[in-house]
Amino acid sequence: MTRLRRDPRTERAAARTSGAERPRYDLALKAAPSRRPRRDPRAEAAAQRVPAAARLRLDRSQFGAATVVATHVPERQTDKASPKPIIVENPDFLVLVVPDMAGGRLGEHDRQLFGAARELAGKTGATLALVGASSADLGPAGADRVAVVARDPDAYDPDARAAEVVAAMRALDPKHVLFPESADGGDLARRVSVLTGEPLFTEAEQVSASALGRPARCRKVEQRSVPTRLISVAADSVASYSGAPREARNEQVDLASGPAKTAGAIVSATRIPADPATVPLALADFVVSAGNGVTDLDMFRQVVAALGATPGASRVLCDAGLMPRAAQVGASGTVLGASCYFALGIAGAPQHLQGVADCEHIVAVNTDLHAAMIARAGLGIIQDAQLVMPAILEELERERRETGT
Amino acid sequence: MRIAVLLSAGRHPVSGKPTLPRTEAQAIRMAAGLGAATGLHVGPDAFPAEAALGHGLDYAAHIACAAGSDPVGPLAARIVSDAPDIVLAGRRGQGGDETGLVPYAVAARLGVPIVPDAVAMRPATDGLVEIDQALPKGVLRRLVVRTPVVVTVHPAAPPPLPFAFGKARRGSIERIAAAPTDLAAGAPPPEERPYRKRPKMMRAAGGSAADRLKAVTGEATAGGAKVLDHQTPEDAAKEVLAFLRRVGVLAPASAAGPGRRPAASEDASRHATS
Repeated sequence: MTRLRRDPRTERAAARTSGAERPRYDLALKAAPSRRPRRDPRAEAAAQRVPAAARLRLDRSQFGAATVVATHVPERQTDKASPKPIIVENPDFLVLVVPDMAGGRLGEHDRQLFGAARELAGKTGATLALVGASSADLGPAGADRVAVVARDPDAYDPDARAAEVVAAMRALDPKHVLFPESADGGDLARRVSVLTGEPLFTEAEQVSASALGRPARCRKVEQRSVPTRLISVAADSVASYSGAPREARNEQVDLASGPAKTAGAIVSATRIPADPATVPLALADFVVSAGNGVTDLDMFRQVVAALGATPGASRVLCDAGLMPRAAQVGASGTVLGASCYFALGIAGAPQHLQGVADCEHIVAVNTDLHAAMIARAGLGIIQDAQLVMPAILEELERERRETGT
Repeated sequence: MRIAVLLSAGRHPVSGKPTLPRTEAQAIRMAAGLGAATGLHVGPDAFPAEAALGHGLDYAAHIACAAGSDPVGPLAARIVSDAPDIVLAGRRGQGGDETGLVPYAVAARLGVPIVPDAVAMRPATDGLVEIDQALPKGVLRRLVVRTPVVVTVHPAAPPPLPFAFGKARRGSIERIAAAPTDLAAGAPPPEERPYRKRPKMMRAAGGSAADRLKAVTGEATAGGAKVLDHQTPEDAAKEVLAFLRRVGVLAPASAAGPGRRPAASEDASRHATS
């Protein structure tokens, strides 16, 4: 927040009282009010007070809950309740965006891609997302138009996807086509570039309507160019779109004009799930982690194997030599990309929480109700992890017996 | 099975010394397990070919041409005359524009398919090869592909063989002069300036120290959070298992056995990325 710059001369002139012979000033009169809300520390403390506690306990996470806004400060117009989507009725040109949408959802890289597309489209252009399945997130992410192409999400046919994009380019004649520089998106971008014979500006790190920038020659130089037609955007280098939501109007695209289909050289494609016991921690999808509250590590390993998870540990256990250093989760260990994290006996130091920041679902078992891990968790259980572990094994064994017999 | 490995003039990421890019050294190791491999480098200097000999090749060809000229023509001509079954390349050749387009352009010129991000390869029956492709989160995709095929190598492939000086001395390099090509055939070269490192994008910038801490440690789950106190361990275990099943990382109780997840829930649980 930036404060308004004060002008002492104007303030002094405003405080001058008229009618006096000599210049006189009423310095008690406040000049233009600051826009900063006035804090009332007593009210804040009252709002932070935890009601059920016998002793005085303040919940410091309720910061600024009772901030009293000075009455004469004009209320800022808030239209968060029903933001009107921005509509571009007759765009001058189109920017075609081909997001990855792994699992049918927009990832962080996809959002940054829309941010880059909005940057290129400006006020007069429109972004068009070419997706396999529509999503409600596309409008807020910055898509003016959405073209849905029916395709089997499990099939692997990259040539057919490239042909789809080329057909869409022929039908719509977009000014730019944007791909994410990810494993799938980068592959698709290069296939499209070879298929159309147009140059591809790969791994763009700076994107604006006037210029693109990318590193080259082992990051010794950076190449700059006016925006080309085919662009692939590097991850974490362009801000995602933060304006009001866009319209995301459905648009029909005729993909009949694509290049002729060739007989695929790929005879078969099988998906092999990762083995949780051997997959590196950074790639694991489900991590069960032990902290200082776990003393029986043999049982912990049994629980990990029974749940089909990858084992992790807090710094304390790794420092003590009870778990390998490769299993350490956190800022100085591994930063996880898991979708689910199960913390057993971990209080949740900030350095540990940095490692699980990207985890979507967190379960924590801890004896301390006020542990940071419990506050971060989607399911927090106040219990001794040493008692819960055998109970989990027993419960799984009981289920196995019931379904087996 | 005959294999050609495309080599490029990389630089070490820390010291800046000329070196063979790691994925290309990994490609050499992968090729050594499949059959007779030859290296192929197009450029002004021969050192990538020499380094490749030290990493396990017996023979490499260096096609000399001017710096900045398009390598696709000479590469494709040489591959057509050699007719290898598999052409291996790194994920992205270094030293030039580093667009990663060369393997794709070579594949298009030869009219053969390209398979990106291989971590393992095995020969299969009559003209087929089995390729393991790396996907995010340690998942593999096993492809059976007809040869000839162009394959690029993923960094997660087995690590390269260490450099051996004697091997580099014993191997042979064939030096070929490329037919001169016109430099200005494609688009004009983009403007270049010294690389300037820019600040990384942060997930949430500004705010108070508490806000920034929240941004790096992840938001506390406010609405949907469920905290259970005074539970017996047995009830707690039931709650945990029910939660894990709802999230989709644990197979339902009726499935074959503990720890085994069916393919459907495997896909459902893969949505969270990056």
